[in-house]
Amino acid sequence: MQLNESTYETIFLLYIDKELSPKESLEVEAFIADNPSYALEMEALQATLLSSDKIQYPFKENLKHQDWNATYSTIIKEDLQAIPGLSTSFKNALKKEAAKEGIIVKPLGFSQQKFTYAAIAACLMVFLGYQQLTKTPVSDSIEANTKTETRPSAASPLVENEISNISQKAFAKNNEQITETKQIVLTEQQAITKLQASNSSKTQRTNLLQQEAISMAEPAFNNIDINQTVITKLPSNYNNPITINAIPLPISSANIDAEPTDVEKVLTSYEIIDTEDPDRTIFIANFEIDGNKLRGLKRKVTSLLLFKNIKTDKNK
Amino acid sequence: MTDKDYNDCVDNFADGVYRFIVKNIRHTEDAQDIVQSAFEKLWVSREQVLPEKAKSYLFTVAYHQMIDHIRKTNKMPLTEDTYIPHQQITQQDAELKQVLMRAVNELNPIQKSLVLLKDYEGYNYQEIGEIMHLSESQVKVYLHRARLILKTKLSAYAPIASKCN
Repeated sequence: MQLNESTYETIFLLYIDKELSPKESLEVEAFIADNPSYALEMEALQATLLSSDKIQYPFKENLKHQDWNATYSTIIKEDLQAIPGLSTSFKNALKKEAAKEGIIVKPLGFSQQKFTYAAIAACLMVFLGYQQLTKTPVSDSIEANTKTETRPSAASPLVENEISNISQKAFAKNNEQITETKQIVLTEQQAITKLQASNSSKTQRTNLLQQEAISMAEPAFNNIDINQTVITKLPSNYNNPITINAIPLPISSANIDAEPTDVEKVLTSYEIIDTEDPDRTIFIANFEIDGNKLRGLKRKVTSLLLFKNIKTDKNK
Repeated sequence: MTDKDYNDCVDNFADGVYRFIVKNIRHTEDAQDIVQSAFEKLWVSREQVLPEKAKSYLFTVAYHQMIDHIRKTNKMPLTEDTYIPHQQITQQDAELKQVLMRAVNELNPIQKSLVLLKDYEGYNYQEIGEIMHLSESQVKVYLHRARLILKTKLSAYAPIASKCN
C-alpha cells in the first residue's frame, strides 16, 4: 500500500469503512502522525459516518413464533376443569388431545364410522319412504271409495231426506244414462266381433281399430254423473279396460238387436286394406297414388339408370 | 433454522432491519409493514435459511421489498416532519446529526442504502453487494462517492461540524 497525495483519499475511505487489514490500518495511522495536514482530511471523512441510532421495532413480540402447545394447552386444561358434568376420563382424554395438538379440533363423540352408519340408515329410510309413497294399488282406491259411500252421515234428518230425494232423482237419471252406455258397449262388442270375423289374420290392424273404437266411445261416458261410478268390463281383446270406479252391471240382451247408433256407423265405416292386393292405391301423405302407376314409374327410372350404366360401360 | 432460531432472529435483527428501512423511506407504518413481510418470508423459508445467513437474508428481502414499495408508491424522501424516529438524541450532537441526516437524505437511494448498511449494520463491501445485488467494486465506488458528497455537504456546515467535533 502506497500512501501519497493521489491515493490517500481512497485509502482513508477504506480506513473509515474498516476495509483495511490491521497492518494497513497501522500504516495509515502512522502516515497521519507523520503528516498532520492530512489529519483534518481524515476528520472530515470520519464526520460522514452515521452514529448508531437506537430505533426499536415496536411490534417485535408479534413477529415471534408462538408456542401453541405451551400457551394454549394450559388454558384448555383450566377451561375443562370449569365445565361441569364431564367425566374425569373424558377430561383426561381431552387433556391428552390438548397436549398433543394444542387446540381441540375434533367434534365431541362423533366418529367417521358413526357418520357412515348414519348416512346408510338415512339412505335406506329415504328409499323405503319413496317406495311407500309410489305404491298406490287400484283395489285400495276402490275400497276407499266404497268406504266413503258407506260412511254414516252426521247431518240432520231434514238434510238426509233432501239428500235421499236428490239421490233418487239422480239415480233415475243415471239409470237412463246407464242404458245408453249399455247400448254403446254392445255396439262396441258388435263392431269388434265384425272386425274379428272380417280378417282374423291381420290382428295388428284390428287392434288399432279397437283402440280407435274405444277412443270414439269414450266421449259418451262423459254424460255419466261423477258420483255414480260405473265399471264396464270390456272383452279381453281390448287389453285396456276402462275402469271408472264402478260396480259391474248386468248387460241386458234386449238392446242387442237395436238400430245401429252413430258410433256403430263410424266403426263400420272402416274398411280393411289388404297390403297384398296389387290394385290397391298407395297413400303418401294426403296424395292418393295408383299402385300400378307407381310401379311403372319405378320401372322406367330403373331402366333409365341401367341404360346409362350400360352406355358408360360401352364408352369405356 | 428452528423455531427458536427464528425467534432469536426477531430479537436480534428486527430493530436493525426496521432502522434501515425507516431511515430509507422515512415512513414508520410502511417500514413496519416491510419488516413484517420480511420476517414472514423468513418464517416461510426457514427450512432453507441457515441461522448464520438469516441477517443478510432479512436485509436482502427487506431491501428489495423497500425498492418495490418505493416503485409502487412512488414516494421517496418525505418531509422531515413525517419521520418520527424512536430515538433519544442528546443535545450535544443533535445539530450534527440533523445536518448529516439531511445530507444523507439528499443522496440517491442506492448511495443512501449503502451508507446505512455500512454505518448502521457494519456490513463489509461483499455483504452489502450480496444484499443489494451489486459487485464489491461497485459498492466500493458508490460508497466512496457518497462519502465525498457527504463530506462536501458537511463542509458547508463547517461551524456546526467543528462545534460537534
